[in-house]
Amino acid sequence: MSSTTAEPVRRPPAARRPTGSRAGHAYLLIAPAVVLVLVFLFYPVLSVFWESLRHHNLTRPLDDGFAGLDNYRALLADELFWRSLRFTAQWVFVEVGLQFVLGLALALVLNRTFVGRGLARALAFSPWAVSGILTTTIWILLYNPTTGIGHYLASMGIGEYGTSLLSEPDTTFWALVIAELWKGIPFFAILILADLQSVPLELYEAANVDGAGPLRRFSAVTWPHIRKAVVIATLLRAVWEFNNVDLLYTMTAGGPAGSTTTLPLYVAQTAIHDQDFGYGSALTVTAFLLLTFASMVYLRISSGDSKEGK
Amino acid sequence: MTRQQHPAEALGRHALSRRGFIRTAAQAGVAMGLASAVSACGGSGGGSGGAVTLQLWDTDTRPERTANLKKLISMFEAKNPGLRINYLGLPTDQYMQKINTAIATRSTPDLLTPKASDLAALVAQNALAPLDERLKKAGLEPQISEQMLKSSRAAAPDGKLYLTPTTSLADVIYYRADWFQEAGLKPPATWADFDAAASRLTDASSGRFGYTLRGGNGFFGQLVQMVYPRAGVSTFFREDGSSTLDDPAVIAACEKYVALFGKQTARSDLTADFKTMVAQFGNGGAAMLSHSIGSYPNHVAALGAEKVGAVAPFPGPDNQVLTGWMTTGFAMFQKSEHQEEAWKFLAYTMEPEGNSFWAQKSGYLPGNKTVAKEKWVTENAAMKAALDAAAKPGVVTLEQPYYLPEFTAITVTDLLPEWQKVLQGNLTPRDFLTAAASALTTAKRKYDKEHG
Repeated sequence: MSSTTAEPVRRPPAARRPTGSRAGHAYLLIAPAVVLVLVFLFYPVLSVFWESLRHHNLTRPLDDGFAGLDNYRALLADELFWRSLRFTAQWVFVEVGLQFVLGLALALVLNRTFVGRGLARALAFSPWAVSGILTTTIWILLYNPTTGIGHYLASMGIGEYGTSLLSEPDTTFWALVIAELWKGIPFFAILILADLQSVPLELYEAANVDGAGPLRRFSAVTWPHIRKAVVIATLLRAVWEFNNVDLLYTMTAGGPAGSTTTLPLYVAQTAIHDQDFGYGSALTVTAFLLLTFASMVYLRISSGDSKEGK
Repeated sequence: MTRQQHPAEALGRHALSRRGFIRTAAQAGVAMGLASAVSACGGSGGGSGGAVTLQLWDTDTRPERTANLKKLISMFEAKNPGLRINYLGLPTDQYMQKINTAIATRSTPDLLTPKASDLAALVAQNALAPLDERLKKAGLEPQISEQMLKSSRAAAPDGKLYLTPTTSLADVIYYRADWFQEAGLKPPATWADFDAAASRLTDASSGRFGYTLRGGNGFFGQLVQMVYPRAGVSTFFREDGSSTLDDPAVIAACEKYVALFGKQTARSDLTADFKTMVAQFGNGGAAMLSHSIGSYPNHVAALGAEKVGAVAPFPGPDNQVLTGWMTTGFAMFQKSEHQEEAWKFLAYTMEPEGNSFWAQKSGYLPGNKTVAKEKWVTENAAMKAALDAAAKPGVVTLEQPYYLPEFTAITVTDLLPEWQKVLQGNLTPRDFLTAAASALTTAKRKYDKEHG
């Protein structure tokens, strides 16, 4: 009788469940990475959550202590919080919308073949390479009432001396929008152009054969290809613009009369300037939660559209 | 059969020996870290050969200032063999956190350069050593400017001296001396002169305005400078603790100040901060500007000394009120183990040699009266105007309540948008000042209640 007992299959050592000492070894090896993540990622986030539940004002050190939800209750009754939140929404919507539309248009132009395209691309993308502080300095100088473009226009009889786009209630918002667009449009253009270059030319040729016009070619060929890049770019840019502090703080510090104060700017004023870290942390946590929620909703809607599109 | 060693076992054995190595290395690292932390972060120590090393924490780390402070330290060390000072610059936006941590962990240094507005928080924690007795014993008190001594004491909530009256700022009104001369105007000496000159020298069609008004960041200092002296009100609070911002004379003076906006000033002044104002004055856009003596070098660099004149705020109806006398100096910590040595440095900054060097390099008024007579002071139009005004009989210095914990938050963050509404014509000066007075009164009464 031949034996039917099969030879026990030898498993390679790597597939075995590690014994206690080996598991300990593995944990020891990954421990530095885990500690780094915990210390540098989670600790600061958790400390802000904890701070938001405390009274912590550096100018009133003796009043420090656990506050419970006091900071959050104060926030709900704070008119400045609601006003800054409304302005933040307006800022993000207008900035991201215009950056996307103009960035897309720029990418479509730069995707075409023409003489000097390389130079045009380099020039169009150069604002993105300029540092934030330099960007604001350039625009502050341009808007300066005594040394900026307004002064020179006034000397040519256009407009008045002693005025600045950043000081007039009707123009401040748009003056800021233009300054930020200067840097934001290239961001969209770069991402979209990179995706446009991966669209197979055969598809356009086929569309041409089918008699599709420019609009139809865009909606049927171009848009489906760049759609994912646009979703990611708009989300990234929306988060970026939500948290925009450098440009707004340097150019208007939230003024005039608080008309350009975004929520992160209000946080900066409260925590950094007034040294009220407890309330500043509550504002930060609220902004963090709002942003997380908005991002999730946006991604959910975008992925839903994507499935329908398929 | 020789048993072949499994790689993991080999690793394990190796790890055992490595564990010993890691333990030894960690212990050495912790020991070294603690040693360096003790020597670098706070806590002075005795050096070799009986030398004492003091730790100085600086809260204003502009490169030029740091270089000057290090030079002052080396001058002090050369005069005091056996004493060394270690300089440590703190980040401008986080220095109070660092100091508060040091106080909480009892690791404070010996010396500090606090701002007047920091004193309330530091004194509340009993962190600084009072200097009144030491100043008297050293015989330095008669050598120091009375205004500065008063300002230093007024910055602390308990009225004691914690901040050396080493140097001070003071407010002046700068004017374009060449424009005044061309227009046949004398340097302004009264508020009426000021108003007349502001109107006369305004020519909006050529981009020239009589005055530049600070509507943006830091507006409160200019508002106080232009309103309190004109109203002749010399205190920030009445005896009952209520703010004088809603005093009828203050409201009337504020209305005159606001009336300049858009007529004798550029409309863009709505958001003008220090840099914008200085640029406007330096580029021929404004005939007059209110600021502290500290900006005199900026104006001279832009226009030349002959075109820059300076006068102190003009007398009010009853007396002359001086503003902006804000002391800048040094302090020592209560927990310093070398208080005698630390005091030697503080005294040096008020004695002629150290005071002359430090005040001249800072561009501030010197606290030492002898130094105030030196040529570099008397040749500086802004300093001369401030000191001449202070020497007049009956002048009063208006002290701002920096000791109130909420003062900065109220006057900088809360009031700025409201002030801009006033300039835009959407809020009356009366309503603005009434609300501001109410906020400051509440802060003051809360403070008084907490401090008995």
